Amino acid sequence: MDKQFHSITPAPVHNGKIVNSSHLAKPFKTFIFEPTDLVPIEQSWDWQQEWQKMLLADPLGPQALWLLQHENCYTLGQGANESNLLFDLENPPAKIYRINRGGEVTQHLPGQLVAYLVLDLKRYQTDLDWYLRQLEETLIDVLKLLDLVGERIEGLTGLWIEGKKVASIGIGGRRWITQHGLALNINCDLSGFSQIVPCGIRGKEVARLDYWIPGLKVSDVQPLIRRSFVERFDLNLTC
Amino acid sequence: MATHDIFMPALSSTMTEGKIVEWLKQPGEKVNRGDSVLVVESDKADMDVESFHDGYLAAVLMPAGSSAPVGETIGLIVENEEEIAAAQAKAPSSPAPSVAAIAEPSNTETKDIANDHANEVVPSQVSPPSINPVEATNVPATLNDGRVVASPRAKKLASQMGVDLATVRGSGPHGRVQAEDVQRAKGQPISVPWIAESDRPAVIQESQPSSKNGSLHRVKSDESLIGKSFGKPGETTSFNTLQQAVNRSMEASLDVPCFRVGYKICTDKLDLLYKEVKPQGVTMTALLAKAVGRTLARHPQVNATYSNSGISYPSQVNVAIAVAMEDGGLITPVLKNADTTDLFGLSQQWSDLVKRARNKQLQPDEYSTGTFTLSNLGMFGVDRFDAILPPGTGAILAVAAAQPTVVAGQDGSIAVKRQMQVNLTADHRVIYGADGAAFLRDLADLIETKPESLMT
Repeated sequence: MDKQFHSITPAPVHNGKIVNSSHLAKPFKTFIFEPTDLVPIEQSWDWQQEWQKMLLADPLGPQALWLLQHENCYTLGQGANESNLLFDLENPPAKIYRINRGGEVTQHLPGQLVAYLVLDLKRYQTDLDWYLRQLEETLIDVLKLLDLVGERIEGLTGLWIEGKKVASIGIGGRRWITQHGLALNINCDLSGFSQIVPCGIRGKEVARLDYWIPGLKVSDVQPLIRRSFVERFDLNLTC
Repeated sequence: MATHDIFMPALSSTMTEGKIVEWLKQPGEKVNRGDSVLVVESDKADMDVESFHDGYLAAVLMPAGSSAPVGETIGLIVENEEEIAAAQAKAPSSPAPSVAAIAEPSNTETKDIANDHANEVVPSQVSPPSINPVEATNVPATLNDGRVVASPRAKKLASQMGVDLATVRGSGPHGRVQAEDVQRAKGQPISVPWIAESDRPAVIQESQPSSKNGSLHRVKSDESLIGKSFGKPGETTSFNTLQQAVNRSMEASLDVPCFRVGYKICTDKLDLLYKEVKPQGVTMTALLAKAVGRTLARHPQVNATYSNSGISYPSQVNVAIAVAMEDGGLITPVLKNADTTDLFGLSQQWSDLVKRARNKQLQPDEYSTGTFTLSNLGMFGVDRFDAILPPGTGAILAVAAAQPTVVAGQDGSIAVKRQMQVNLTADHRVIYGADGAAFLRDLADLIETKPESLMT
């Protein structure tokens, strides 16, 4: 499987090791990839497209989770409103991508941990609302491990601490097989967010976790989020 | 000419309407089965909606950027290029079924839609071109705030059957009119029970080729035909092989001296557990089968059966579950070793059995080796029923719906609990009243006080 992954992604990127453990049943068999280099959006999008295609062709195939960081860029959901971009579109401060997820504009950059999941919701619940809430729960689990209290705001998908947004969520799917996922701000530069209306929500501040835990780094949070995903989605990491 | 509707899919149980982000195909464009036709957005989630017909996108009834209630027809697909113009002509010119007529999808219905099309996100079905979806939603409003609260299927049925929704009493959540209510209003029998998780008729292979006088009269499944019927009015239809087999069994059971004993079981804890384990793919059928299997293992007498040489004690606990067949008769797929197999395994086994029954792949030992039978009509809301004992086994348990009930405690306290009635039919030559009663007491104890032990 690892081989196949490499063959579909001739990427100049190191893949972190594939974590192994065994205890769970087959249907949740999942590969976790943790590239150590910054990943361009095109690359991670390709990976997900290919993985989704494979799952569409093989309904019993393994699922995938990527934990990674992106180069500085902005992404927009398919239905996103460009009026939320406050900079000159002819002369953007970073690359802009319109991708096949839901939701409005957001920014990705180093210091922000991004999780992409290609899961088959037919193995869980064929309910996108359920899935969005589970992603929020996963983040709440992670924050709990850091002694922080993550909050939800009804109607505003994402995760908040003391009314400030620390994580964005946006997903796409085909035949209940998901793409995309979430982005958690850990110690990234937030100045770029002032040039957009993040997620189309005005009047809400964006924050990063090291505001509450000075010195916190992505490498501190990554193992926690990996563990939380494995537990919440019953990911079976057996090859 | 066949026109296939593209409906606004239910992407979640709470979704009442969805936004069309983009049409990936344009009217007149060729569409292959499996092609993504449009993208629908609900909250932060986008989902591609696929066609599962080869043909042409004839009409886009709701433009990109607009929202439509779940179940609404948003586009039409036709099979041949020549049909495009005709379909467009018949399509409503203004894409404006009032959003006020949104039906609130119930959990179950959303699930059904998704299950029905496990491999396809959009529910779509053949619909005669004479049925105009807009007409169906314009039925006079009846309920408190003046909205029509009816499932899309109920609306469709109502328009097909000429039933005025204003006269129909809804049995769904918040008085929502369900398809069954429309049928009931029309005096039509409700279709034959189908086991809870299985959403589609399974078709069972004939065990022998049908003889000339035993030829099958299968009625084509047709949307407009509501109640179960295997023949037309005025004719007599011969039994199919499966029906004949059921007849023989039922007649044979007349020779068995049976008695019945009932019990009320509180299911609040079981329901909670179910909610918790459902995301892992565990089904209610598996939970019930496991609870019964566990209890049977401790009550070997209830797992036993009569034979000419004496009481025969099987070496396994195999729980069979009765499933009605779409084309007549019923079958009892067997969950083997239900006492020791884990819940996940049982859930998988059951879905596999139902799937293979559908594909005519069940082996005899997969439906004839039950040592105990479960029959569940709970999904119809029945409060109680009793079952006929299948020959070769000692007992069968009839399971009715769990319903909120006012329950008085020993100490005089009063509480509302969900209660289900179960009714055991047993062969008195093998199982005596006290055996049956003790079995039910222990089953109730397991379900009421320690359902979580089923996880281990």
